[in-house]
Amino acid sequence: MERKEDDMPGAAEKQKQAAESGAEKVTATAPVAAPASSAVKAKTIEVQGVNLYYGDFHAVENVTMTIQPNKVTALIGSSGCGKTTFLRSLNRMHELTPEATVKGTITLDGEDMYGPNVDPVHVRRLVGMVFQQPNPFPTMSIYDNVASGLNLTSSRVKKSQKDAIVERSLRGANLWEEVKDRLDKPGLGLSGGQQQRLCIARAIAVEPEVLLMDEPCSALDPVATLAIEDLIGELKSRYTIAIVTHNMQQAARASDFTAFFNLEESGRPGRLVEVDKTDTIFTNPTQKATEDYVSGRFG
Amino acid sequence: MPEITPRAEYQEELANLEASALGGLDLVNAALERTLEAIEHTDVELAQIVIADDDRIDGRYLEVHQSLITLLATQSPVATDLRLISALLHVLKNIERMGDQCVNICKMIPLSGNEPPADEEMVKLILSMGRQTRTLILQSKRAFAERDIEMARDLVRQDDVVDNLNRECFRLALAIGDDADKREWAMTMLLAARAVERIGDNAVDIGEQVAFVVTGLFREFEDASHPAQ
Repeated sequence: MERKEDDMPGAAEKQKQAAESGAEKVTATAPVAAPASSAVKAKTIEVQGVNLYYGDFHAVENVTMTIQPNKVTALIGSSGCGKTTFLRSLNRMHELTPEATVKGTITLDGEDMYGPNVDPVHVRRLVGMVFQQPNPFPTMSIYDNVASGLNLTSSRVKKSQKDAIVERSLRGANLWEEVKDRLDKPGLGLSGGQQQRLCIARAIAVEPEVLLMDEPCSALDPVATLAIEDLIGELKSRYTIAIVTHNMQQAARASDFTAFFNLEESGRPGRLVEVDKTDTIFTNPTQKATEDYVSGRFG
Repeated sequence: MPEITPRAEYQEELANLEASALGGLDLVNAALERTLEAIEHTDVELAQIVIADDDRIDGRYLEVHQSLITLLATQSPVATDLRLISALLHVLKNIERMGDQCVNICKMIPLSGNEPPADEEMVKLILSMGRQTRTLILQSKRAFAERDIEMARDLVRQDDVVDNLNRECFRLALAIGDDADKREWAMTMLLAARAVERIGDNAVDIGEQVAFVVTGLFREFEDASHPAQ
């Protein structure tokens, strides 16, 4: 794997920084309403020697990379290369698959996500996920969809506080103006693009540190896609973002860093080939496999 | 392992466009050859042919340029392909300028009069410059086609020969004396020499594009602010 040390501070260094700043305590208190636009220093994910398995099958081999705070990192690669599996390991969703296991270290600002006393549900609150198909809860109103995470993570949130969080989240997802007059209507009544923004609003309502997106635009038309990409650009002022995409132009447009995963042959584990600044990956990649992939010389 | 499915048509189209663009250098080389012949024999008719034929170079420029823009719009080239297309757009402009310099020279040939040249030595110098410049044109083409950075860098050295001959022309023009007709002739020839010298500079620019395609770094090999070592 190639990586540029200047751009990607090493894990040890990051951990040292985190230790010096007194690694932040994570508590599942009710999030405080804050303006969606203000910039917030987000957290860094350090991935060190991560191997992922489904039972005996070795799906992803030895990934070491940094997911930079307040940046968008795109994960690209052909189907089966393990990029989605890798993404799901970043908020402990991988282990939800029976017999799926994780080896290696993943830290969030120095805190081990897989530490013995760490509650995976808590990790998933800190590291939100947006899926390929917009999946609003079908029986819930727009309002309840956004507020659903709050009900799960903290038992007592005042109605007025909840109202504020719903509005802030919908504004943060660029959806507020379109739905403010019909918050009690079903979330499924929205268009596909609006539904995906609703899911993003739901994800950010619980004030995560990181947003993971698994092909968030592949079910959307070009206009809705560009709206989501614009939104991603705005969200990075508050969050660390990692996005899996098959659309290389989307990676080129929407991300700051790009990580290319490759599968050398079927049955072998996927590997991280190269991670670098997105403009470097798309103008002058170091590895031939990356060049071939971004140039469309692979299927 | 994913099936390898090279984008065959696109790759072929790009390769054809490169060949077509670099073929423009053959057109320029031929135009310069005729231009030199027109200078040598003060052949106004041949000069007119060169001027008329420049439409072919311009046509090549416009045609390949348009096709490259279409590839950019439809194929979203990246990495080496993107650098190649960017470089070809530059090279096409260089070729178009080289053709125009031949036209500039040929337009001066009627001005140089029907009398025997005022200074044979100066004509010889310009012809030497022209021959050297034709070498540069062909070398720039080959360096590009073969992605040979060393050959591209060597263009700077070759171009120094042209530059030195150009300075020699200037010295001869200054020494040509007080006769008004001779001075007018010398000034005209000096402009022709300058045009030849600019063609050499364009060949060096093409060499810089070779380095860009290969390395991804665009730097001028040399210019007035940082001369070559």
